[in-house]
Amino acid sequence: MYNNVVSGVFNKLTQNEISCLRFNFRGVGNSSGNHTVGTGELIDTKTCIDFLLNEKNFEKIIICGYSYGAAIGCSAVNYSKKIIAYCAISFPWDFMGLKYKELSQSKKPKLFIQGNRDTLALYENFNKYFNFYLEPKNYKIIKGADHFYVGFEEEVAQEAYKFYKLITK
Amino acid sequence: MHRIDKIFITNNENRIEAELFLSNTENLPFVVLICHPHPQFFGV
Repeated sequence: MYNNVVSGVFNKLTQNEISCLRFNFRGVGNSSGNHTVGTGELIDTKTCIDFLLNEKNFEKIIICGYSYGAAIGCSAVNYSKKIIAYCAISFPWDFMGLKYKELSQSKKPKLFIQGNRDTLALYENFNKYFNFYLEPKNYKIIKGADHFYVGFEEEVAQEAYKFYKLITK
Repeated sequence: MHRIDKIFITNNENRIEAELFLSNTENLPFVVLICHPHPQFFGV
């Protein structure tokens, strides 16, 4: 279970004594099953949310997702009132269709992190999509970063950490 | 050293591979759920 962006965020949060669960969707790594282009992966996300609420007794969840994980994870934002915010890193709206834009709509706090050289989660379309979302919302443009954030992991992690601190203060 | 548990979370369909870190800080109700990307999308 490794990705430079996710691991950067996970390490930053855990080093600051913040409880975290990270997971692989079905068909990835050691997760069983097969890719379902979103439907099943949304179930996977909700399964993890249920686990945190019902088996670990957490009361408030912040979702953080990167790339496909942003599209799917943030689309579960309205699954429970105990989900209080989300942080989307390079939400690939253009590749995911309208469904996930609509599902990720929420009146809960949202942070969008975006590289200004991203040609997959297209930077040129970022404002159009960002403007769709309701307040409260914010964004952080990572200057010089493309979709893979090589060399920018710490900056992304720091923004995710700052967002957590803001939401939980 | 942080205590990161490698676990599987099951539903009716699959076993989901996950890593869980539980903070030592008492009575904190917050947790961050981090969703990995998918290698079929953009190779990340």
